[in-house]
Amino acid sequence: MSKHLKVALVDDDIPNTEVLRDFLIRNGYNHVDKYHDGESFLESLDRFDERAVVLDFDLSGGGDLNGLEVLEAIKERSPSTHVIFFSGQDSLEVAVESLKNGADDYIVKSNAAFALVKTSLDKVYDIQVLKLNERRSQRISWMMAIGWMATIAAVALYFAGQ
Amino acid sequence: MEIIDRLSAGDPEKKKYYIRLFLDTLEPELENLRGADVSQAQEPIRAILHKLKSQVQTIGARETHAIMAQQEQDIKSGGQIDQGQLDETCRQLSDLIENLQELLK
Repeated sequence: MSKHLKVALVDDDIPNTEVLRDFLIRNGYNHVDKYHDGESFLESLDRFDERAVVLDFDLSGGGDLNGLEVLEAIKERSPSTHVIFFSGQDSLEVAVESLKNGADDYIVKSNAAFALVKTSLDKVYDIQVLKLNERRSQRISWMMAIGWMATIAAVALYFAGQ
Repeated sequence: MEIIDRLSAGDPEKKKYYIRLFLDTLEPELENLRGADVSQAQEPIRAILHKLKSQVQTIGARETHAIMAQQEQDIKSGGQIDQGQLDETCRQLSDLIENLQELLK
């Protein structure tokens, strides 16, 4: 099943990012972009309106910003964007800091990491779908309310004219 | 190699494409590790170990990954690795690269 969720992978590890991208595409995420440094991702953030970001902590092979700095910039400019921290650092300090700063999840790179990223993205996708359905049913409720009010007004006008 | 096998799904060209991707990073970084001086500050060695350990893990070389993770942790917590430890890591990486190159033939 195709999942309509824009995903950005931000990681300076080129081969693993490529493999993860293919893995996610195979699992239904058709729109997956990759960036190898925080700076180029942040440049594109406004343009592409990413919905979920899988963000590495140590981006030193790419640019000057680390993952926590990129997270801070994302939350400042696009608070609704979901961020999944994906790090080779099994560090409680970084995990706590990232979650405190608005990350939705913290995944340590391991043998099962790709599957865990997919599971985490599935949760984000489910939330998006729920929000979308909620907005749709709210819109339908409003339209029905307006329809009823228009009908009542028309009936009232009809009887007023009698 | 499990994830690569699954993604390439029996397509030998796709599998070779992934292997080349990893080799493009592993080969130059092995040279960097070989040229590293353990008597100097070891942060550059730690950075290389950190970078390579995830890749080695994806390829499925568990033992090499465990060694690299341990050495990275040792340096991070203020310790040092000696020349013998670095040589062992380089030997393991070199074997891994050879195995990958074999798969390209």
